[in-house]
Amino acid sequence: MNIVLVGLSHKTAPLEMRERLAFGEPLLSDALSRLADQEIVDEGLIVSTCNRVELIASTPAGADQGLNYLAEFLCHFHKLAPATLNGHLYKHVDSNAVKHLFRVASSLDSMVVGESQILGQVKEAYQHAINAGTIGRVLSQLMHRALSVAKRIRTETGVAQNPVSVSSVAVELARKIFEDLSDKTVLLVGAGEMGELAARSLIDAGTNKLIVTNRTAERAEEIAGKYSGGAVNFEAFYDVLPSADIVLCSTGSPDYVIRPGETKRALKSRKKGPVLFIDISVPRNIDPGLASLENAFLFDVDDLDSIVKTNIRDREREAQRAEVIIEAEVQGFVNQLRSLDIGPAVVEVKELLSVIVISEFKRNRKRLGALSPEQETAIEDVLIPALVNKLSHPMIVHLRNAARDGKPTQMMDELRKMIRID
Amino acid sequence: MEILWIIILMGYAMCVAQSIFALTAKRPVMRRTALAALAIALGAHTAWLLLRGLSTGRMPLVGTQEMSAFLSWGLVLSTLIAYRWYHANALKAFIFPIVLVLAAIAAISPGPTGQVQEFSNTLQSILLPAHVGLLLLAYASFFVAFGAGVMYIIQERELRHKRFRTIFYRLPSLDTCDAISSKAMAIGFVLMTLGIVGGVWYSYSRYHVYWQAGPLEIFSVVTWLLYLIIIQSRINAGWGGRAAALASIVSFIIVICSLVGVRYLGHAF
Repeated sequence: MNIVLVGLSHKTAPLEMRERLAFGEPLLSDALSRLADQEIVDEGLIVSTCNRVELIASTPAGADQGLNYLAEFLCHFHKLAPATLNGHLYKHVDSNAVKHLFRVASSLDSMVVGESQILGQVKEAYQHAINAGTIGRVLSQLMHRALSVAKRIRTETGVAQNPVSVSSVAVELARKIFEDLSDKTVLLVGAGEMGELAARSLIDAGTNKLIVTNRTAERAEEIAGKYSGGAVNFEAFYDVLPSADIVLCSTGSPDYVIRPGETKRALKSRKKGPVLFIDISVPRNIDPGLASLENAFLFDVDDLDSIVKTNIRDREREAQRAEVIIEAEVQGFVNQLRSLDIGPAVVEVKELLSVIVISEFKRNRKRLGALSPEQETAIEDVLIPALVNKLSHPMIVHLRNAARDGKPTQMMDELRKMIRID
Repeated sequence: MEILWIIILMGYAMCVAQSIFALTAKRPVMRRTALAALAIALGAHTAWLLLRGLSTGRMPLVGTQEMSAFLSWGLVLSTLIAYRWYHANALKAFIFPIVLVLAAIAAISPGPTGQVQEFSNTLQSILLPAHVGLLLLAYASFFVAFGAGVMYIIQERELRHKRFRTIFYRLPSLDTCDAISSKAMAIGFVLMTLGIVGGVWYSYSRYHVYWQAGPLEIFSVVTWLLYLIIIQSRINAGWGGRAAALASIVSFIIVICSLVGVRYLGHAF
């Protein structure tokens, strides 16, 4: 029994190739049932996202055959010549395959380390495979372990902590100033794409109201309409400044649009705590002098970028700790899987031994003389099984150790030779 | 009784170490252990106060030992209430060091010696401890306001300097610090008002004067006015953020300095 994995990701293949090889949801159940042909592959699973396609299978036919089958399946299904995939596919067997899956689920292999989407996608892929009936004993254990490892890494390391995109940093800053965003108003000055993006993540984070202002009023109204906010005249935005808690600025203006003098007055008339100013325009549109005003917190693009960079570095450092956990978990899982594999061997050893014990008992039965029926059953139900258990115990321990070293078959052959009556 | 103090001090010491470490550590460690230690220490602390009350047949509010024990107990309670309301775990790191110091003072101080005040009627025996207890709880609240103010200033500094160290992620938001500070100050003010009323009433009932113009009384009224002004400016002038945080810090420092000053001038409760 082998676990095999074939796949490609943003690290090995360009986007257009990933697109061609993706298994969209409508294709998935058909693909899964064709993948698990029961001859080479008896259990199969497909993880397909915009960044990766992974085929994972358990094969009774041997590792090489399994890998070739998966690679061929990938080409066949998408009607591609095998040569086009040369150099883009990676192939992993057993503990390497397990490790790769654990790393993927824990988001260590993601473009942004620690992003949370991938875990959901892996869960979904597992659910699809369950529905398609292509999950058995091996893959179900593998997937359960993968999901729990991912969870463990999330809680025990900092790979998923602290935001790593400009928009999410803006949200984090807002939360560190206001805590509760549900009664906060966002003022968007300038209706560029970046500004809209940042405003949207704030709205997604639960802010109450959006006010948009732009030199061309139509565009302001368009965005305001999209997020059920209000639009105000560009010349009049200082009038609404006191009601804004978060000011996002992203106009194409070459000069400062928001100046300290007017802002100071606005803050005074506001009569409540701090205001967050985020300037994502280049060149800057908010006068840096604003930062020295009491209760005004100003962040420009460089500030946000440097926070992002620090956080990414932190995550990468934490990822190294995660790798150690993965290493240990892979070892644990492989051992668990192998000791499961010796189940049939254990039964065989016990059967061989009980054959010997029973035949010896029958041969020497007469010497025991007359026995009561109770004594007879005691021998058959208690004594003989106890003898078999006692005798087989050291052998099973050896078997388990051999399995851990990856040599259960050799050990079983040895044992058969030792026990054989003939 | 000795063993109780050992348990109390060990428990609080553990909380102090864990909460300060948690502020700067990448990952919180021993959170549950510290929580268990806190529960045990608080249990022992409460038990000590109860036992002392039962054995003396009065409220445990006489002398340095009992007052320190009661004040530190009030501080733990206020911190727990603040945590329940605002989930600000970081507050512990700012309050518990003082809890530990006060508990240590209580542990090494001798119990009340000499003649404990005799009351001529039941009203007086209720009023005096109520007066002292309410004032101590008021100071506990003001200290929480102070701690939240300090958190505000640190967090604001992090934001202004744009240097986001771990402490930035551990401290609550500015709004939360502000909310804790203003609520603690309001509660403290109410407790203090009640405490002063109790004191005046006691004074009248015992000495038949409302006002003796002693240093402690003048000090109490000045403190009361100070907090009244701060609270009033917060409400009416929309005085929030940094200024309010600084006010909660400065006013508390003034209160403590003058309290110590008054005590050393030879007048005690």
